[in-house]
Amino acid sequence: MASQQHDKDFYIKKVNSRKLGGSIEFTTIRLAKQVNFVVSILFLLNCYDLFEKKFSLLSAIGFCVMFAEYLVTAFVSSKIVKDVTGEDNSLSSSTRKLGYLLIPFMFLGNILMTISGFMIVKKGKTIEYQLSIYSFISTFSIIAVSCINLFKPYVSDTFFLGMGLYGAYTLINLATIVMAGKYTSAKKPDKKFLAFAVLGILGIALGNLFSFLMGIIAIRKYTNKNEDINIEWIDVVKRLFKNYMSVIGMLVVTFLISVSIASTLTFDYSIAIDNNYSALLLPPCLEYPFGTDEFGRCVFTRIVFGARISLLVGLVATIIPIIIGGLLGAVAGYYGGKKDNVIMRVLDVLYAVPGILLAIAIIAAFGANTLNLIIALSIGNIPSYARTVRATVMGISGQEFVEAAKACGAKNGTIILKHIIPNSLAPVIVRATMGIGGAVLSTSSLSFLGIGVEPHIPEWGNILKAGSAYLETNPYIAIFPGLAIITIVLAFNYFGDGLRDSLDPKLK
Amino acid sequence: MKKFISFALAAALMTSVLSGCAKTKSQVEGNGSNGAASSKNQAASQTNKPEDIRLLAQSSNEKDMNIMRDQLTKAGFNVIINMQPDYSSFKTAVESGQYDLALSGWTTVTGNPDYAVRSIYHSLGSYNNSPIKDEKVDELIDKAAGETPAQYEKTYTDLENYMITENAYLVPIYSSPRIHGVNNKVVDPATVKNAKSRSFPWEQISYVDASLNATRPLIMTQTGNVLTSLDPIQANDGSVNALSTNMHIRLVNLTSEDDITAEGSLSYNYAIGEGNDNFYFILKDNAYFSKVENGKAVNTGVRVGADDVVFTFERAMDKDSVPDHRTYSLYESITKVEVVNDVNVLNETKDSDTGKPIIEILSKGLPGEVKELVEDKTLVNNAEGKYQVVKISTKRPFPQVLNYLAHQSAGIVSKEQISKINANFNKATFDPTKDVAYGNFSVLKGGKNDLWFSGPYALISVDDYNVKFQKNPGYLTGSEFEPKIEHITYKFIKDSTGAVSAFRSGEIDVLPFVDETGVEVLSSNSNFTVETRTSNGVAYAEFNMREGSKFTDKDLRLAVLYAINQNDYIAVHKNLKSPCYSTISTLIDTGNVHKQDLAKSAEHLAAYQAKSK
Repeated sequence: MASQQHDKDFYIKKVNSRKLGGSIEFTTIRLAKQVNFVVSILFLLNCYDLFEKKFSLLSAIGFCVMFAEYLVTAFVSSKIVKDVTGEDNSLSSSTRKLGYLLIPFMFLGNILMTISGFMIVKKGKTIEYQLSIYSFISTFSIIAVSCINLFKPYVSDTFFLGMGLYGAYTLINLATIVMAGKYTSAKKPDKKFLAFAVLGILGIALGNLFSFLMGIIAIRKYTNKNEDINIEWIDVVKRLFKNYMSVIGMLVVTFLISVSIASTLTFDYSIAIDNNYSALLLPPCLEYPFGTDEFGRCVFTRIVFGARISLLVGLVATIIPIIIGGLLGAVAGYYGGKKDNVIMRVLDVLYAVPGILLAIAIIAAFGANTLNLIIALSIGNIPSYARTVRATVMGISGQEFVEAAKACGAKNGTIILKHIIPNSLAPVIVRATMGIGGAVLSTSSLSFLGIGVEPHIPEWGNILKAGSAYLETNPYIAIFPGLAIITIVLAFNYFGDGLRDSLDPKLK
Repeated sequence: MKKFISFALAAALMTSVLSGCAKTKSQVEGNGSNGAASSKNQAASQTNKPEDIRLLAQSSNEKDMNIMRDQLTKAGFNVIINMQPDYSSFKTAVESGQYDLALSGWTTVTGNPDYAVRSIYHSLGSYNNSPIKDEKVDELIDKAAGETPAQYEKTYTDLENYMITENAYLVPIYSSPRIHGVNNKVVDPATVKNAKSRSFPWEQISYVDASLNATRPLIMTQTGNVLTSLDPIQANDGSVNALSTNMHIRLVNLTSEDDITAEGSLSYNYAIGEGNDNFYFILKDNAYFSKVENGKAVNTGVRVGADDVVFTFERAMDKDSVPDHRTYSLYESITKVEVVNDVNVLNETKDSDTGKPIIEILSKGLPGEVKELVEDKTLVNNAEGKYQVVKISTKRPFPQVLNYLAHQSAGIVSKEQISKINANFNKATFDPTKDVAYGNFSVLKGGKNDLWFSGPYALISVDDYNVKFQKNPGYLTGSEFEPKIEHITYKFIKDSTGAVSAFRSGEIDVLPFVDETGVEVLSSNSNFTVETRTSNGVAYAEFNMREGSKFTDKDLRLAVLYAINQNDYIAVHKNLKSPCYSTISTLIDTGNVHKQDLAKSAEHLAAYQAKSK
């Protein structure tokens, strides 16, 4: 009898955990709850300095706020658990109303709670609705980060223009969320939503990948003639958005890209590179959130501008080897035989040279600048992409649809470009997302070694290098760029992971 | 539609609220309340287009380069940076002439003002890279050289005024203190001398536990791992100064305060003959050359004698004695070096200070009375009264020559060995790709060690990571200057942070140079003794004034000079540096103070740009 009871409990537990895992409301609130808890503990530990025997009021306030946020999320979370595991498997309308409570927490900087709030308030969330939320969050974060500049003695001349633009765009985003909630469905979106879709596509100019994706999806869905057939890539995006961690990764990436673009307007480049001899090595404060370095430059502003080079080099140094390596791999894999042998053996030679060593040699020979840095990092990555593509292409080129194309008399070039490459893209895309993180890391490594960009140009590796000399006396100069590098690499890795799962046909 | 309007209104409201509480950059600069910013505007408004300037530096000077880049940019220049990883590649870049302004430095290691100017400003100076070719500069340097300290003060002030204030031949940045660190749990800090000018003498260093002296190798460090040359007259830079000083014995030495002393030198005593243009040195008989055999230092049994001294200075004076002679300008005042054979000469010559016969001055504290002066060094025996005396004559009264004799390039070398090695090539047709001169670093690194050492330590071997020394078994044995520690290793550590870390971990026992972050970190630890003192080290920037360079123009140089604010460098270096006006500043108080003046800088820049149009 007892064992039967045990089996039943076990079964119920499994069912409940599967139900909860499938509930986006629960996964989002759970992450918010966990993060709140960890951060509040960190604040608590910071309250009392054991070495100097001092009590920190700031940390105490931080602890109180974070713990209150934790309690709120814990409460909402428990309600959701009860509803989801309950009889009708869905949230009650009273629980949904609790979501509105969570949204305003974005003003305290807790975007995880806000995301969760938006997820809870709406029943039947379409992909457009979800994308609009992330788009809104990313734009709002940029405004929040830019606002830190208000504590500086002056802001850049274009600051208010930038803030106005982003402010307006945030409101558009907010409106889009509302409209998406009303006018989109799993099928065709309402005609009224199209204007917002177009505005969303324009958001790419501000670096907003989410709004862009949202716009494209809405319009593609609208133009889809046969509503009964699902569009393959939209399904991929939907699957991607079921994996919350990969979405957070994408959010971080989007945020960094957007910040790099927004910084042109809302940040002053001269604060990042002009020395200020009256503010040398200041600890973090409101005016200098991450402190100042040995030349009195604001580390925060330097990191914001540093994202630009790190991302640019990371992206371009990944795209170039994809194109070159991809073509070489496709040719090698499709034709096989001698061509394959020649290409792959040459690439094997290149593969045998350690990437970072090759990069150092190229930079030593041609001088250190951004272009050479990109070339140096690209060349070393060609063989690995070529291998990936070759393996996929070899699998595909034997399949029936290629045979059919051949039988129809298509030229080899056409077959490669039209049939083979599009069908072998998935593994490359996944590799690339993972690879960008690596490229960012390599850029920083080279700058750290003093052979990347010029020392005064803000780049994460550069800032880290400058900070490394002050690790003991002024650790914050090295900690913040270090965290930035960790964050971006993690973000790309999580994003890449999610992308792999959603592209994997076996996991459909 | 209504929604849109309300959104637009809300956005406008947000913007206006924001703009109420912050000032934009142009508002702040327009107010003129910020001095630097307003003068920057002024500078920018007066110049049409930023003037290109190529700034060259070693990576160890990265901070100074960054500040200079910043200051020049603010003064209306477009700075192009060229950073070289080490001294040898920096030197190559300087020689190629592909630069406008190079960050450089000079330490007056002999402690006399002539040395502070001759090599770097005189048209014949071997380290005059710019080059400064100005007859008036040469004239003032030569004039001051013949003057007494009371007289030369004015001449050097004139020189400084002419060179810097009027012509801006170089841009002074700061003068550095000398800071070294000693691991006081291992090495007795009292035995490590922090001298104002000279490299510290290794032979006196001892471990706290003296029983370790014979067995434990002492580890020190330096940055350069390419030693220019081991022939003392072929190099005078940071890569060899400390090493060469301790590999060769000299006629005289400097004390920590830059006074001339015979202590720890080849001479028992020295005397200045009446008229201040001839100098006498009575030599010790217990200094022998050592060489390296099977990786160990052995005594050659060859005494360091008067013929070696004569040989040393005759080749030092002669510009063509070796290819790539880098120090001949220091010895331009010497006319003759000879061995004195007749004791009567010493009785007849009067001392310049006291008027007594110099034999009295020279005889102080000798092991035996001077009975006979011998020419052949094998016959010397001090205890029996057989001595050797060397006389050096200068073309004009020039007591400063003694400071030069204390320079590392005046280290006594073996006549026998150098004559043998350097006979292998023809000086006239010397081909550096084929011929090998005495002291060649590459050959030494390859494992062929032909060097003979007159000093306390013999260089055993060198590779990319360290250079190893062993005590010279025939060096002043039995005296207090006999080296105490048997083995010394110099590790090459390129950056100063790495050196400080190695020092803290106990990997290095004595850190000859500590940077400013190092001072902060090390001072708080009782295991380390950090000693700071003023020195003659001066950092400056020199122009490329070769033919065709635009910096032959005085206005452009002045524009750069006035753009520089020394206080910024001093602040970034944690107030450990001091202001200076030229390399003379640390020796003579000329009263000149450098001040940044952006208005003047802009004026001169505009004047140049008007001309070049």
